[in-house]
Amino acid sequence: MSSEALFTTHDIGKVYGTNTVLQDINIRVWPGEIVGLIGENGAGKSTLLKIIAGVEEPSMGTMQMNGQNFRAGSMLNANESGIGMVFQEQSLINNLTVAQNIFLGREKQFSKGNFIIWSKMNAAARNVLNAMGLEDISEKAKVRDLSFAMRQMVEIAKVFDIVSAASNNHALILLDEPTTVLSDEEMVVLFDKIRQMKQRGNAIIFISHRLQEVLEITDRIYVFKDGKLTAEVETQHADEAILYEKMVGRETNSEYFVSDRQTVPAQEAVLEVKDLSMFGSFKNVSFNLYKGEVLGLCGVEGSGKEDVCAVLCGDQAKTHGAIKVHQRKVDFKSPSDARDVGIISVPKNRREDGIIDILSLAENISVANYQKNAVYRLISNKNQRENAKHWVRSLGIRCSSVNQRIINLSGGNAQKVIFARVLDSECPILVLDHPTRGVDVGAKGDIYALIRSITEKGGSVLLMGDTLDESLGLSSRILVMKDGMICGEFDCPADNKPEQVDIVRLML
Amino acid sequence: MELFRKRNRSSQTIAEEFVQKVENEARSNLIRVYAPITLLVGMTIFFSIYDSHFFSLKNILNILQQMAVPLILATGLSFVLLIGRIDLSVEGVMGFVGSFMALLILNDRNANDFGFWGVLIPIAIGIFYGLITGILHVKLRIASFIITFATGTIIKGIAILLYDSRAARVQEQWMTDWSMMSFLGIPLITWIAVAFFLVCSIILNYTAFGRAVYAIGDNEAAARASGINVERVTVKAFVISSTAAALAGFVALIRLKFGQASLGDDQMFPCITALVIGGASLSGGRGGTLQTIVGILIYMELLNFLTIIGVDANYKKALQGIIIIVAVALTLSRGRKTIAK
Repeated sequence: MSSEALFTTHDIGKVYGTNTVLQDINIRVWPGEIVGLIGENGAGKSTLLKIIAGVEEPSMGTMQMNGQNFRAGSMLNANESGIGMVFQEQSLINNLTVAQNIFLGREKQFSKGNFIIWSKMNAAARNVLNAMGLEDISEKAKVRDLSFAMRQMVEIAKVFDIVSAASNNHALILLDEPTTVLSDEEMVVLFDKIRQMKQRGNAIIFISHRLQEVLEITDRIYVFKDGKLTAEVETQHADEAILYEKMVGRETNSEYFVSDRQTVPAQEAVLEVKDLSMFGSFKNVSFNLYKGEVLGLCGVEGSGKEDVCAVLCGDQAKTHGAIKVHQRKVDFKSPSDARDVGIISVPKNRREDGIIDILSLAENISVANYQKNAVYRLISNKNQRENAKHWVRSLGIRCSSVNQRIINLSGGNAQKVIFARVLDSECPILVLDHPTRGVDVGAKGDIYALIRSITEKGGSVLLMGDTLDESLGLSSRILVMKDGMICGEFDCPADNKPEQVDIVRLML
Repeated sequence: MELFRKRNRSSQTIAEEFVQKVENEARSNLIRVYAPITLLVGMTIFFSIYDSHFFSLKNILNILQQMAVPLILATGLSFVLLIGRIDLSVEGVMGFVGSFMALLILNDRNANDFGFWGVLIPIAIGIFYGLITGILHVKLRIASFIITFATGTIIKGIAILLYDSRAARVQEQWMTDWSMMSFLGIPLITWIAVAFFLVCSIILNYTAFGRAVYAIGDNEAAARASGINVERVTVKAFVISSTAAALAGFVALIRLKFGQASLGDDQMFPCITALVIGGASLSGGRGGTLQTIVGILIYMELLNFLTIIGVDANYKKALQGIIIIVAVALTLSRGRKTIAK
C-alpha cells in the first residue's frame, strides 16, 4: 500500500431542499484497496457514489483525486480523471452491440474519415472482453440478447476500459450493488476480476447488501446511517455480528413514535393475502392485516416489498394468488378499483405520484372523491373549500389559504394534504409507502400521531417505513421480506419492541 | 410452453424467474425482427398466386416507379423516428421545393431559366429549413410533433403564395427526359431513391453519428452520459429528414412535371405506416435500413394489389388508418401506468 491516498473526500454533504441526505462524509481510499460501503436503504451510500462519479453535485465539501482537488461536474470529466461508476440500474444501450456499447462516444479511434471500421472496433472490444475473462460473450451480440449477468459484466468491462485508459492503473471504480443479478459462479468470476484490478493498483468502492460478500472482498468497510458515516472497520477485524451492530446504531425513544397510543389490533382481519405472486418480483406472499393494526413491511430495496404494495394498491398486476377484503374475494386492475374495495395508498414519490402541482390544496384533497363534494354530480367549489378547511384544521396543515397551489407548500405540509385526501376517501385500508420521505422532523411527529389516530378509529395500515427505526417504532407487527419471499415475522407490542439487529439479520 | 412454466412456478426462485422474464423479452424481440420479413415473403407469394398480373414484369416496374418518393421520404423519416421524434414538416418542405423549383427552371408561368441552379437552390433551402426546425426543437424544447407541424404549415403557406393558385408546368427539356429515362429497365427516379437509401444506410450503419441515433432512441440519458451531444445529433436527424423531403420534392416534380404546393400532400403518413409495419418504433430505438426497405415493400405491394383487384381509393385510405393502428398496437412498448401522449 503506498503512502499517498488515491482519493479523499472532505466534509462532503448533500441537501435536497430542506432534506439533508448526506452530511460530513470523510473517506479515504488507497491505491490497490477495496473499500466496502454498507448501511440501510437511504443511508446515503448511493448518493455518495453518484457525487464522486459526477452524476450529482455535492452541496458542500471537497474531494481530491491523486492529491489534486477534484470536482467532477460531469461523468465524462470523472472518467477522464480515472473515476468510473457501474450503476445499479444498467446504463447500456440495448439496441447496440457489445462492442458499440463499450466504445460508445469513443468511436473516433476506430474511424477512417467519418466511417467506423467495425472490424477494428470489434477486435479492440474482443481484447477488452478477453482481458476481463469474458471469452464467452460475443462482441458482436446485441446487448438486449444477453442475460442480465452478462450485461453487468459488459458494463463493468466498459467502465474499467474507460478509466484505465485515462489513469494508467490508478483508477477508482465505483460498484453500486453489482452482484444482485449475478449467480454464484458469476460472482466468483466478478470477484476474481475485481481482485485483478486491485493487484494492478486500482482502487474499488463496493456497495452491497450482502454482508458475506463485503466481508469476502473488501479490505476496509465504511458504515453509513441516516446520511452520516458512523463507523469504519478493518475487514480482518470484522464479522457479520459486528457489522449488524454498527449498522443499526442508536434507537429512537418510543415517545417519538407516540408508542403509548399504539393500538392492540382486533382479531378481525380486514385484508387477507394468500399466495400472492408477481412473476419475477415476489412469490407466495401470504399475510393478514387486522383491524386497527399497523403492519410494517421490511426488506432491502429489490426484496419485492415495493411490488407487493404496488399490487395491493392496484398499480401493478399480480400473476398469481388471492386478495380478500372483509372476507370477500376481490380482484382489481387499477388504483381506482382498489379504492372502490377500500384500499388507498400514500405513494412514495410525492412529486411524481402524489401531488397534482397545478391544482390548489383544496382540489388536491378532493381529487380522489369528487362526488363527495358534488351537488347533482357537479362539483361544488364551496363544499370543496369547506371540506379542505376541515382537513387543514384537523391535520394542522400550514398554508395561506385552501386555494393556495400545493406546489408552494413545504414537503411536510404537502404530505399532510395527501393524507387528507386519503382519509377523506374513508378507505379502511391504507398503504403507506415511505410516508415521511422528504418531510421535516416536526411534520414527521404530526404524521406519526396521525397514523395513531387512524388505527384508534379502526383503520388498518400497511407501512413501508422510511427507516427501519420508523417501521419498528410505528408497527404492531413486522414482516420481513428477502428475495421475493416473506422470511420472518415479529410481534412489536408497544412495550416490547424487537431488536433491530434481529430484523436486519433476516433482511440481508 | 407458457402453461408448463406456470405449473412449474413454485420450484423457481425469484432470481430464476427474473432471468426467465429477460429471456422471454429477448424471444419476443426476435419475433419483432423476423415477423415483417416473413409477412413480406408470404404476401408476395399469396398475391402472385391470387393474381398472375401481380408478379408480371410490367407490374413490378410499376411498383418500383411508385415507390421512389415513399422510399426517399421514409429513409429520411426513419432517422427522426429512431431518436423517438417525428417530423410532420416533410410534406410542407416537399411541396415547397417542388413548386419553387418549377418556378425557377424553364416553365410556362414566368421567364425564369436558372437551369441546374434552379434545382439546387430550392433543395438547399429545403435542407436549411430542416436545420432551423431541428434547432428550434432542441433550443426551445418544444415537442417535435408541435414544432414540425408549425414549421411545416409555414413553409407550405409560403409555397402556396409562390405558386399563386396556378401550377407552373415544367418546360425544361432535360427534366422531361429524366422522367422517361431508365437503366436496366428500372426508372431513373427509382435509382435516385435507391442511391439516397444506400447513402443513408451507410451513414446509419458505419458512422458514430448513426450509432448515436440508436443510442439516443434507446436511452437518451445514458447516451448523454457517454458524451454524445444529443442536441447536435437530433438536429442532424432533422436535417436528414428535410434533405429527404427536398429530394422527394425534386423527384415528384420529375414525375408530375407540375409544380404545385400540394405536391407533398398525403405523402408522410403512408411512409410512417410503412416504417411501423417494417418494425420501426414510434417511441424510438427500433428500426433501420432493413426495417425501412421491408416496410416500404410491404406497403407498396399491398397498395398495388388492392388496385389490381379493384378496391376503391377511399377504402384504401381507410385501410391505411387501420393498418397504422394495428401495426403500432403490436409494436409499441407501452407503460401500464400512463397512456402515451
